[in-house]
Amino acid sequence: MSLWRLEWLRLVRTRRLLALVGVFAFFGLTGPLLARYTKELLKRFGGGVTVNAPPPTPADGIAQFMANGQQLGLLAVVLVAAACLAFDGQRESAVFLRSRVRRVADLIVPKVVVTAAATGIAFVLGVGLAWYETAVLLGRLPAGRVLLGTALELLYLAFVLAVVAGAAGVTRGVAASALTTLAVLVLLGIAGSLGAVGRWLPSHLVGSLSDLARHGRPGDYLASFLVTLALIPLVLAWSIHRLTRRDV
Amino acid sequence: MTAAGPSLETSGLVKRYGGVLALAGVDLRVPEGSVCGLVGPNGAGKTTLLAILAGLRRPTAGTVRIAADRRGVAILPDTPQFDPWLSAREVVDLARALVAPGLPHGRVDEVLADAGLADDADRRVGGFSRGMLQRLGLAATVVGRPQVLLLDEPCSALDPAGRREVLDLVARLAGSATIVLSTHILADVQQVCDRVAVLRAGTLLFQGPLDELLIGRAAPAYVVRLRPPVEPVERALAAEPWVTGIERMGAVELRVEARSLEEAQRGLVRALTAAGAAVVAVEPAAADLERVFLEVTA
Repeated sequence: MSLWRLEWLRLVRTRRLLALVGVFAFFGLTGPLLARYTKELLKRFGGGVTVNAPPPTPADGIAQFMANGQQLGLLAVVLVAAACLAFDGQRESAVFLRSRVRRVADLIVPKVVVTAAATGIAFVLGVGLAWYETAVLLGRLPAGRVLLGTALELLYLAFVLAVVAGAAGVTRGVAASALTTLAVLVLLGIAGSLGAVGRWLPSHLVGSLSDLARHGRPGDYLASFLVTLALIPLVLAWSIHRLTRRDV
Repeated sequence: MTAAGPSLETSGLVKRYGGVLALAGVDLRVPEGSVCGLVGPNGAGKTTLLAILAGLRRPTAGTVRIAADRRGVAILPDTPQFDPWLSAREVVDLARALVAPGLPHGRVDEVLADAGLADDADRRVGGFSRGMLQRLGLAATVVGRPQVLLLDEPCSALDPAGRREVLDLVARLAGSATIVLSTHILADVQQVCDRVAVLRAGTLLFQGPLDELLIGRAAPAYVVRLRPPVEPVERALAAEPWVTGIERMGAVELRVEARSLEEAQRGLVRALTAAGAAVVAVEPAAADLERVFLEVTA
């Protein structure tokens, strides 16, 4: 039994992997369906509401997936990551692990990597399902742009995991870490909407997949891509530093 | 017991939690291979001291020297907890893999059997009782054959049989590992420890061999067993000038404390005869750690 296997078992036996995959897969399946049939659904169940909208495009399929899946998926990722990384919340369990490793980093790295891998797999599965269904129902999407957008969204999710790790270094307990993370993400989102500085923040990457699928310019994401890429190791290193210095 | 050199030594150890002083300059010295009972009232700083020795908390000041690699130091918290979805075997195997990956997997079954958990090895620990968790914690603590073992109240959740097993296990480890055992149960200290350290309010009041504490501190006393009536004898003994205290121990026993052992030896039998006591037995009172502990920490 290694720490890598421990983290894998944590995801599987607590059904957190199932929750992650379930959330993204569900919205991956339903997003394009909604995009394709919203007009019909409203006509049938909307109580006489008439919708005048242009016919849905393939980009709408992915956009619908992201619009629905982004918030709940992000919440699931934050909760799963906090449950894994806020291990000092239960002192006796923390003592068991902390007293048996040379460095706290030995504990953190498998936690972050395994959770990131599970998050990545779940998100890519959701995108894959949405992409396939979009192709069937609405038409083809530009593969290069979808892949680029997926990569940027994955980078943002990796940043979210780093923020959870940072929050676990500041607070103890799952709820406190999750709430701190959500507060940071909301603040970043608000800061991102305030002006030109927003293009440099990680929150600018949110929605990049939908935008690129609609002919957005990849160059618009270069600044936030570079900043996020630099911030992830910095936040993780800071988290490890904090967790190393913590009394348990 | 071997007593080559200190396996574990602290110097001027201070720990503050904000304005609260948890340890006030502790100089603890535990020789290699000895079993040291760390005793003290609640809030004395025992858990803090063990956590610092295990490297889990940082001292505010002072130094810790342990003659062992970090992985050679194992700590058992007072209420061990593990991820509930792991089996007992997985918990112990994880501990083995982390601290002594070179040891064979068979070592896991060996310590589980020693802890009385062989039949529950493949059960998820989420369903374990507190006593089972404590025994599992002990198995996970000893699986790597640590050189220094820090046990925080290892018997606190155990029934008498479980407590006996744990004490036997500690006794078996004596000599091969240096053990610091924090406990409220002074009888446990008397059974398995060869040294004792008394901590109160973050200050080390005594440390040394258990015998030294008991012999040096206990007031000279005798236990007298009588046939009833006991009260007239008790009144007569209380009137003796060399008697410093009398305590009733049950219906027919008296504990008579004397100013000095010599005065008790010369005066006790004479006083009992003069009081017309029907004496069943007279014997020196055994040194009692609990009594000495209360005296030292008073």
